[in-house]
Amino acid sequence: MTAADKQHALSATDPRESGTQLRAGLWQTINERYPGSMIRKESYVGQARLAKPLTECRLTLVSSCGVHLKTEKPLDVCHPFGDFRFMRVPSGAKHEELIIHQLKYPHDDADLDINVIFPIERLQELSQEGQLGELTANFFSFIGYNMDPEKFERTLAAGIAEAVVEEEHADCALLAPA
Amino acid sequence: MGLIQRAIEARGVPTVSVTVARDVTEAIKVPRAVFLPWPMGHHFGVPFRRDLQRRVVLAALGLLETSNEPGTILDLLIKWADVRREAKTLTEQGRKL
Amino acid sequence: MSVPYLREADAQHDVEKLVRFVRLHLGDGNETVGKEEIDRSWAETIKILLRDQPVDREFIAQVLEKDEATLALLFYHLHFYLIRRSGRWIHDGSR
Repeated sequence: MTAADKQHALSATDPRESGTQLRAGLWQTINERYPGSMIRKESYVGQARLAKPLTECRLTLVSSCGVHLKTEKPLDVCHPFGDFRFMRVPSGAKHEELIIHQLKYPHDDADLDINVIFPIERLQELSQEGQLGELTANFFSFIGYNMDPEKFERTLAAGIAEAVVEEEHADCALLAPA
Repeated sequence: MGLIQRAIEARGVPTVSVTVARDVTEAIKVPRAVFLPWPMGHHFGVPFRRDLQRRVVLAALGLLETSNEPGTILDLLIKWADVRREAKTLTEQGRKL
Repeated sequence: MSVPYLREADAQHDVEKLVRFVRLHLGDGNETVGKEEIDRSWAETIKILLRDQPVDREFIAQVLEKDEATLALLFYHLHFYLIRRSGRWIHDGSR
């Protein structure tokens, strides 16, 4: 190791080196800054099971990364309470057709390769290879900054769940926050 | 995201999420999740590391098949320092995977 | 703060809490940074106006006839527009 390497080497307790959550206590931190914004649930919902093998399933992807087609207007990242709408992203879209509008997470790397946060092309490949049955016609994107948990559950959560089931007929869902 | 995951699961569609904030995921009691000790904005890795991105996706999809115990969290403890070191090396070599 | 929390603060005329929330939103989750960001966007307006370019006062008059909710939200859009023009962008969720 050179002297420069030694200077920049991470200590063993650095979470990037030790493999622990990089921002420890995130729930607490956010709830202290924005009291009432974080949710804690007391019980689990009833567990659903795959009705058939994954190779026969239709999968959807839901993300809070704020991605959308470049041809569409973005959601509102400026509103102090968040934007409670969601967008549909055609599951056949490629990186070059997509853009991210979001304030609350670093997306420099996702701007280079959308799959870092929204693995749309990886899912396309897995479907083409037969490891997945197929993809729903549309995936879902919203802005993961919402300061009204009750409104979020009533509008965004219920709305996406309804669309996933009734419009896209998904057999399973992969969800990725940003 | 946990609220959405619960809403979809409650409608009979099995779900799995990928998280870098294990404490947030635990608090909201999602059905299934894969945890990675990575920074926000990098749930599936780094740019152009197709193999790593696939690995995370496949781990999540695998959990859909294998886990029916509510609140299962699979820890995929790939160190971020290793991910960045390898990405840096590949960049220096002019390679993308 | 959650919206219900802000409603309570508003009902109690607790302006401090409302301002704190604005600073958090504009400061990428950091109140001190948010205060600086507010100053910066105002400073940016001065820099722009010093260039003495033509202005469309008729357009401004039309905009000011819009409803209060639209104008309140526009205020945020204008802040972020000015911050982008300033050339220093701090929003990445890291604070």
